[in-house]
Amino acid sequence: MTTTARSALGTDRRLERYEDIRHLLPDVDHPSPLVRVRRVMPDGGLDLYLKLEWLNPFGSIKDRAAAYMLDELVAAGDVDGKELVEASSGNTAIALAALAALAGTRLTVTIPDGIPDEKKVLLRMLGAEVWETPDDLCPVDNPRDGAIALARSLAASEGGERYVMTNQYENPANVRAHYETTGPEIWRQTEGQVRYFFAGFGTCGTITGVGRYLKEQDPTIEVVAIEPQKGHRLPGLKSFAEAKEPGILDRRVVDHVIRVDDEPAYAFTKRLFREEGLIVGPSTGAIAHAAAEFGAGREGLAVGVSPDGGQKYTSFFDELLGDEGLPAF
Amino acid sequence: MSQPTLTDIKVTETLDCRGLLCPLPVYKAGVVLNRLQPGDVLELLTTDPGALEDIPALARQRGETLLGVEKGDGTQTFWVQKGGTA
Repeated sequence: MTTTARSALGTDRRLERYEDIRHLLPDVDHPSPLVRVRRVMPDGGLDLYLKLEWLNPFGSIKDRAAAYMLDELVAAGDVDGKELVEASSGNTAIALAALAALAGTRLTVTIPDGIPDEKKVLLRMLGAEVWETPDDLCPVDNPRDGAIALARSLAASEGGERYVMTNQYENPANVRAHYETTGPEIWRQTEGQVRYFFAGFGTCGTITGVGRYLKEQDPTIEVVAIEPQKGHRLPGLKSFAEAKEPGILDRRVVDHVIRVDDEPAYAFTKRLFREEGLIVGPSTGAIAHAAAEFGAGREGLAVGVSPDGGQKYTSFFDELLGDEGLPAF
Repeated sequence: MSQPTLTDIKVTETLDCRGLLCPLPVYKAGVVLNRLQPGDVLELLTTDPGALEDIPALARQRGETLLGVEKGDGTQTFWVQKGGTA
């Protein structure tokens, strides 16, 4: 991970000055915060803390994997003279685009359709080229994951000389980022009291890396994966009824899988806004909703990932709200 | 009236996808076809053999007309007319 000497003021981020935005990337000594959510949780259930990954410098949990993957490629000399390509629902790409700009290269993103315009505009602002594509891009056999297929074909075309793919779905650095940072942060922040960990199925770097680390500390910790339904509208999450399971997923660290519908996920997102003051994206709503349901009749400290913030989904939320909040006269 | 021959085709835009692997030619052809007008003709050059299946399927799926295909020297040339006839 990119590191440089921090200022003499020590490790208290409140006092620190930063010479480079990359120094704000989280690590064990500078973790993203855990914040308790009480009002949305049923009485007698789990004590749920959300890990607010949207406070990372590029706005999501994907900052960690993007930094690890890019650092590894740069260290190996694989980016020299090349551009980056990645398939992403937006958050990995946003972090990669920012880091690529800082590293003096550029990014082409293949992005599945149905991603909010806010993310696509942010990517273009960061200098990335955005190629939006349907999942059923290939017209012959309609394999799934058109964005991934397109990114792979870009990386393999022109003799592989023009592009290098970070390949977050297969890259062990994605898992390692969470094994070395997110997992140890949670263990330390909860003083080893965490009993349950909730994260979504997506690239599966988070659930595999954090799950593996936590289970090495205490094998009785239960890891709960949240999976959306086929045809869902929860960017960042993946339904393996329609998408290929990423190579980096280690199912041995997953104890439970909870399937969540869009409607309760969005309803819970709205509750997090209004009852907890948390401006979160819809995947946080899905994860927290699952934790509330799963936690009924269970006790103990639980940590759920809050992958990103709500600002990138205002167009989705506008649809959800309809006329709500507008003058009624 | 006789059928038009390939030499009669008036090409509106040529897209060179030689060296690109599928599904890249499909994606790029789709982007160009989206901006062409009905009746316009896209000439598409490819080298990936997968295009011989993909491009006709793409034309069918989108409701375009595949006017012709020519194979030679490892390159395939497709002529696709947007939205059938002008």
